[in-house]
Amino acid sequence: MSTTNSDTRGGGVDQPRVAQREVTRARAVRRFKWTILTPFIVLLLAILIPVLLLQLYFSFNSWTIYLGSWWDADFVGLGMFKEVLTDPRFGWAIVRSLYFAVGSTFGCFVIGFGLALLMYRPFKGNALYYALFILPMLTVPIVIAYTAEMLLNQNGPVNDILAWLTANEVTIRWLTSPDLALTTVMILEIWNWTPFTFIIMLAGLSALPKEPIEAAQILGASRWRIFWEVQLPLLRPVIFLALILRFLEAMAEFPKAWALFQGGPGTTTETIPVYIYITTWQYFHVSKGAAMSYVVMLMMIVIVLIAIRVLRREKRSLDVIYERQRTETAGVGA
Amino acid sequence: MKSPNIRRRNLLKGSLSVAGLCGLPLVGLQRVLAASEEQMIIDAAKKAGGADLNGMIWSLYYRNMKRLAEEFKQASGTGIGKIQDISIFQIPQRSMAEALSQSGEFDFFHVDSNMIPSLASAGLLEPLDKYIKAAGVDPSSNMVGNFGNFMRFGGHTYGVPTDGNVHIEYVRKDLLENPEERKKFADKYGREMAFPATWEEEHDLRKFFTRPDEDMYGSGDLRNRANGVTWWYMYFYSAGGFTFDDDMKPTINTDAGKYAVEHYLRIKETSHPEAAGWGTPQMIPRIVRGHVFSCQYWDGTIAQAEGPKSTTQGKWAYGIPPGSKHSGKLIHRSISSPLAAILVNRYSKRKEQAAYMALYWGTLKNSAEIVSHRSWTFHDPWHENHLGHKDVTTAYTPAGINAIGRTMQITTPPIYLTGYLEFQDALAKNLSEAYVGQIKADEVLPKTEAAWIRLIAVIGKNKLKKELQSYKAAMPSVDVPV
Repeated sequence: MSTTNSDTRGGGVDQPRVAQREVTRARAVRRFKWTILTPFIVLLLAILIPVLLLQLYFSFNSWTIYLGSWWDADFVGLGMFKEVLTDPRFGWAIVRSLYFAVGSTFGCFVIGFGLALLMYRPFKGNALYYALFILPMLTVPIVIAYTAEMLLNQNGPVNDILAWLTANEVTIRWLTSPDLALTTVMILEIWNWTPFTFIIMLAGLSALPKEPIEAAQILGASRWRIFWEVQLPLLRPVIFLALILRFLEAMAEFPKAWALFQGGPGTTTETIPVYIYITTWQYFHVSKGAAMSYVVMLMMIVIVLIAIRVLRREKRSLDVIYERQRTETAGVGA
Repeated sequence: MKSPNIRRRNLLKGSLSVAGLCGLPLVGLQRVLAASEEQMIIDAAKKAGGADLNGMIWSLYYRNMKRLAEEFKQASGTGIGKIQDISIFQIPQRSMAEALSQSGEFDFFHVDSNMIPSLASAGLLEPLDKYIKAAGVDPSSNMVGNFGNFMRFGGHTYGVPTDGNVHIEYVRKDLLENPEERKKFADKYGREMAFPATWEEEHDLRKFFTRPDEDMYGSGDLRNRANGVTWWYMYFYSAGGFTFDDDMKPTINTDAGKYAVEHYLRIKETSHPEAAGWGTPQMIPRIVRGHVFSCQYWDGTIAQAEGPKSTTQGKWAYGIPPGSKHSGKLIHRSISSPLAAILVNRYSKRKEQAAYMALYWGTLKNSAEIVSHRSWTFHDPWHENHLGHKDVTTAYTPAGINAIGRTMQITTPPIYLTGYLEFQDALAKNLSEAYVGQIKADEVLPKTEAAWIRLIAVIGKNKLKKELQSYKAAMPSVDVPV
């Protein structure tokens, strides 16, 4: 090909100069990157490290706000972690958070992806739909909680609408049934954050290369087969990204659960953030709260590392697909 | 007759001596008699110099106090600068954060006085004794019975009350007096309907009036996790129970405790199915719209029940909460939570001025103005002279004010100790779990006791043993008020 030819022609005279230029360019790019990144990294470390160290100090020293100064707290070694890890309430909070995060992530993804599939081909008036679909994400979670309180009571409009649709009496206790309370928060979370998945999936769909789809169309593949065998594999890294980001966000959900239930009825909505809040700011056991935060942070780091690994693997396999396609296209061209 | 030995010089000496001995106190007495409580506080505040205070107070409370703050500013130079407007239920957390930061940014906190032990232990609170002495006015000494001890802890006065907030009994008088209902009730229970004297009597009445098909329920008591526990204390204390023995061993897993749990859960039979999640915003409308036969509720609800928008205006009878004969004698107990009070920040540079501002809000004249607003009823009576006060009586109705006065004699605090919120939430959590069926009724007390034992170990048994005196001092000495 032409590039190869010119390289060959350049021969021994140009090669060192080109290599030198490449090295200089790479160095300049690296320097530019570090110039941009260094202040942010310094700022991040300056904020993050003292917080993490202070939290670490609290985790190893037993301190309750109303029992003296924090610098006089008693050293307890790993005692606080032992207390956290043997606390059944904390265990249940993890279970509830996982249930909530998995359920809401799945809900957000299915609806968000569905909407993205409907919207990624331009059509007249799509801007209005974009605005409508994004609106829930712009609503403050606490407002969602209070609005839900008005809509979801047993004699409220939601049950009325369901009764009208089903022509049956509907008396679902969205806000007071211990079996349903967390699911209610989950439904609100899905409503609130589906736009986030929608935006990511829409961007992913819009960025897909046209060639493989066109090639599949030429070969007579059905729309379903194109979606399943061409688009979906190409979208896998984006799908993983959307799922991971949403999952991490859902694990930290606090405002809606707290505003609506404060952990009740019973303890059915006592998720990790709710329990940490209660421990730290109702019981004022800062040390236990800090130890719980560390345990949760480590758990999340593990999840994120696995996610990064999966994402890298997906990207590698995608690179292989693209490379194969490029080679095939080049072969056809030759 | 011997003429009396009165010489001009002796007369003059004697007069001077009398003047010398009596004059000074007389001048003081004159000043005291002449000066109102308000003037005495203003005089003391002037000596401290003017200041603009920063406070943490919910606007629903502050609106009644604003005019008086402006008046105090005019008179003494001390007024209100900035207010952080957050709910009284969040101020415990925010004020504890201030204890942590020790910034002194806020001069006072308007908070549940049951937080006094925890906040004082955290070093946040300024004792008000010296300011009370300097001004010669002590609002807490004017509270009914032992109610004033809600403001005291460890021998010091820390708070100025603004809102008594006692739970009185509300019963639908129109239903109680309805001849048809009376006959049906008598046929069913073999006795006449009457204002309930015991929890058991009330439960029968509530069962009788629970008619879900008419959207009518016997009970309007709260059963959510945040508030429901407040009712448990009334049952427990009235059954003769107390939370700890003198050695700080929990004493709730007892007959009195079991009785209280049983009654707490029994109310489910007569409550709306959604009560497990309802707080005041849901329950008050149901009370005033006539969907409830009876409840123990904060006294400020009288204004709503008798207000222009109420469909039950004039249909309520008010009294003291029912009692219990479980201990062998009839004991009535009510509760005040939150009992809102002004507490002063020890780290503030304007703590002296903040103390005088608080005292100014706490005089009889000013507190009567604060509690007697017809529709802004977040503040309720607490001063013994509120009970006969014309404006306060108008706001709360004569029957209502009578019930409030009697209830104050039997009002108890929740756990008035350091760690109050955690002690309480351990109980609240277990009660709430039992109410919604997550755990069995007989698990509530052992689980709570275990949690309390752990907490006592963290806080320190000896510290809590000393604090018990203040807790017990706030308990009433009257069982059945006159």
